[in-house]
Amino acid sequence: MRPRPALAAVVAAAVLAVLAGCGTADPSASLPAGTKEGGDLVYATDREPTCLDPHNSGDMPQTYIARQYLDSLVSMKADGTVVPWLAQSWHVSKDGRTYDFDLKKGVEFTDGEPLDADAVVANFEQIMDPDTQSSTDLLYLSPYFEKATAVSEHTVRVTLKRSYSPLLTVLSQAFFGIESPKAMARGLEANCAAPVGTGPFKVAEWKRNQEVVLVRNDDYDSAPADAKHQGPAYLEKVTWRFLKDNTARFGALQSGKAQAIFNLPPESVPAASADSRIDTDDFVHSGVPFALDFNTDSPQLSDVRVRRAIVHAADAPGIVESAYGGVFPYEGNALSSGTPDYDENYHEPFPYDPDKAAALLDEAGWTGRDADGYRTKDGKTLTLRLPYNSDPGETPPADLTIFQNFQAMEKRAGIKVELQPKDAASMTAIKQDPTGYDVKGGYWNSPTPGVMYIKFSQETLDIDNGQNVARDFDDELDRTLVQAAGTTDPEKQQQLYSKAQGILTSQAWHLPLYPVQTRLATRSDQVRDIWIEPSEGEPVLHDAYLIRDGA
Amino acid sequence: MTAETAIAPSGPRPALLARLRASLGGRIALRILSALVLLWAVATIVFFLQHLVPGDPALAILGGASANPPPETVAAVRAQYGFDQPLLAQYADFLGGLVRGDLGSSYTMKEPVARIIAEQIVPTLQLTGASLAIAWAIAIGSTLLTAARPGLAARIGSGLEVVLAALPHFWLGVVLLVVFAVTLHWLPVVDDGPAGLVLPALTLGVPLGGFLAQVTRDEFDAASRQPFVLSALSRGTRPRDVRWRHVLRHAALPGIALSGWGLGSLISGAVVVEVIFSRQGIGQVLVTAVTSQDLPLVIGVTFVVALVYVIANILTDLAAVAVDPRLRTSIGGAS
Repeated sequence: MRPRPALAAVVAAAVLAVLAGCGTADPSASLPAGTKEGGDLVYATDREPTCLDPHNSGDMPQTYIARQYLDSLVSMKADGTVVPWLAQSWHVSKDGRTYDFDLKKGVEFTDGEPLDADAVVANFEQIMDPDTQSSTDLLYLSPYFEKATAVSEHTVRVTLKRSYSPLLTVLSQAFFGIESPKAMARGLEANCAAPVGTGPFKVAEWKRNQEVVLVRNDDYDSAPADAKHQGPAYLEKVTWRFLKDNTARFGALQSGKAQAIFNLPPESVPAASADSRIDTDDFVHSGVPFALDFNTDSPQLSDVRVRRAIVHAADAPGIVESAYGGVFPYEGNALSSGTPDYDENYHEPFPYDPDKAAALLDEAGWTGRDADGYRTKDGKTLTLRLPYNSDPGETPPADLTIFQNFQAMEKRAGIKVELQPKDAASMTAIKQDPTGYDVKGGYWNSPTPGVMYIKFSQETLDIDNGQNVARDFDDELDRTLVQAAGTTDPEKQQQLYSKAQGILTSQAWHLPLYPVQTRLATRSDQVRDIWIEPSEGEPVLHDAYLIRDGA
Repeated sequence: MTAETAIAPSGPRPALLARLRASLGGRIALRILSALVLLWAVATIVFFLQHLVPGDPALAILGGASANPPPETVAAVRAQYGFDQPLLAQYADFLGGLVRGDLGSSYTMKEPVARIIAEQIVPTLQLTGASLAIAWAIAIGSTLLTAARPGLAARIGSGLEVVLAALPHFWLGVVLLVVFAVTLHWLPVVDDGPAGLVLPALTLGVPLGGFLAQVTRDEFDAASRQPFVLSALSRGTRPRDVRWRHVLRHAALPGIALSGWGLGSLISGAVVVEVIFSRQGIGQVLVTAVTSQDLPLVIGVTFVVALVYVIANILTDLAAVAVDPRLRTSIGGAS
């Protein structure tokens, strides 16, 4: 036995391994002054997608990054109008069931495949294919989509089962980015690791838990009509880093290691405002705000009086103010205020009113009291289970504070709220199990008020995929929303969607709290022209450029 | 554990064992065999434990926080991965895969487990290696400077060690990050190079160093009262050399034995550090895999950690022999 050489070898190997890494270069070094061209940008975000192809699954981190390498058929502007992108024009049939898209000519995917009608058809086929394991895309399309066909080389026809007026805004999301048919044919694994689009960047490498490296598509010439410039991106390379830890993410920005960060931590807002080099950009998501959904299958919550009492007792604006320190506004409506056809009459439908809450609970028969002072009925304590994902990436500390505030407020009204931290797998199981929860937090970002149908209709309840969290529906609400999706008359739509918000409010299926936001913080002394597009709040890096000395 | 106690006294096996133990090759073979049994046990336990956890592996595959797959999709996945098979059949399939060296494909990352681990293990080993080096530097430095000395020095030294050993990783990590990276700019917040390793390694190494120093100090105190110290001193050896050459050798042994355990604790500590400093690594992968019930990945990582543990224990044995040659004859039977 000769232990010494063995040990020496181990030590030497360890030292070599440690030294093997290399430093990161200053992004703007060695570039001529006064040019927008070139350079590497470090963009740091909190959550890592599980798959880079947004057709699979359908979680927000996927769209944020997919926007950089996938183009969509159309793009949506802040006022809700839709402008050309890969489709340079389109024609909708009178009955609203046929959409003909004329594609831009001469566009190529970064693997050399041409963008033609067949390629777009292949995308719709991939989205609808169960093997793709899509959830978000599928929920938008499956109630309406019939088929996509190639009418000519550059014309795609999408045929719907019934008219669906939000279709264009839906398709503007990066969730519906158009991918190369050849790349999609490689199968889920390869396509998740490196999807191929026509976008301004392409995926070069994905180091799990660390970063995705994006490099410029030098041939890019298919920016959306609302882009700040046409032609290739200025940046040569984007390092899309995952910095889960709030201190590290903000620290990376402060120290100039990152030029832009996503989700500026609420606790860092004062430091960011005090720093003249840091600019912030907030985008309020449209769709359904973060809310506590009430499971109407649980006996105590099947009574609308109890649900209303919970809302009256909660003091929702106070809960949000206390947890988010004024950084996030309060949102009391079923729709976030940025959503088209939002009706401000429903801003705070059931204001804080403990007396009213008490009266409603008395009326509902919860008149007894147990030893701890909680209300009882037939000897049963009024208890609500509130399970949540214990991963701080999924339930940020401020959301946990919201749950605790809710618990404290409901206790005053004699309602017991049990907070139940769970792992991700148990949460997924609970989604599928109507007996597993009474109250659950959640949101649905969407560019269309039609999202109310996904969250609260009989159809989504019947699909039984856990999206109708309240597990209830209302015939009139369903009819109203289907009518709204069936008309293209803006005035009529506004009327119908207002009516839907009224019905939703009266049902008190949920307690809306705050609108979800995309919050960017950038180093204004290092980078310019990162903008946030409005369909899903995706940051757009195609127009961004680094500032050089003398520029 | 010693193998002798577990084997019946009669029959041919003790003789075989004895023969194996007599040669170095035999001892290594025994070690590998016991490692294989350990790995099989680890895989089996993890396999069945994961199946006891409520939840559906098909949902893990279709996972993601926002996933709401329709029932047909769930059914398709169940059939594709064989979740509709009886548990024992799944277990047999799984063992078959392991024997062929196939760790399967991750449910959530949709990539071969072996590839994921190969990508993630190196940064974690760098981190744990550097941490262990820091821990030993602290332990040896503190012991040589302050142990078995009269007066205040020893008390300050041992008091400091208690404080260091008690520092929680997540707290120390954030403090180091804020002070040295964000405020002073001495070190990068995030960096894959050697500079980026300093703060994470300190976060893990400092508390372990405090702990190792405590153990080393006790042994150092005891050894410095041994007669050989007196005889060395009386031969005219300088006190500094006696402490360094003779006493420290004795004092280091329990610390070396504990380093194998320490490596295990470093890997679990790496979970916290990898998140704070956003390092690539096996710790983060394991956490994600467990919470999303990514069975192949959980088993793969557990497997590799167990393997690292076995190797670490062999290495600590070798290190102990290097420090104390008297142990040379008993290696393999000691742990």
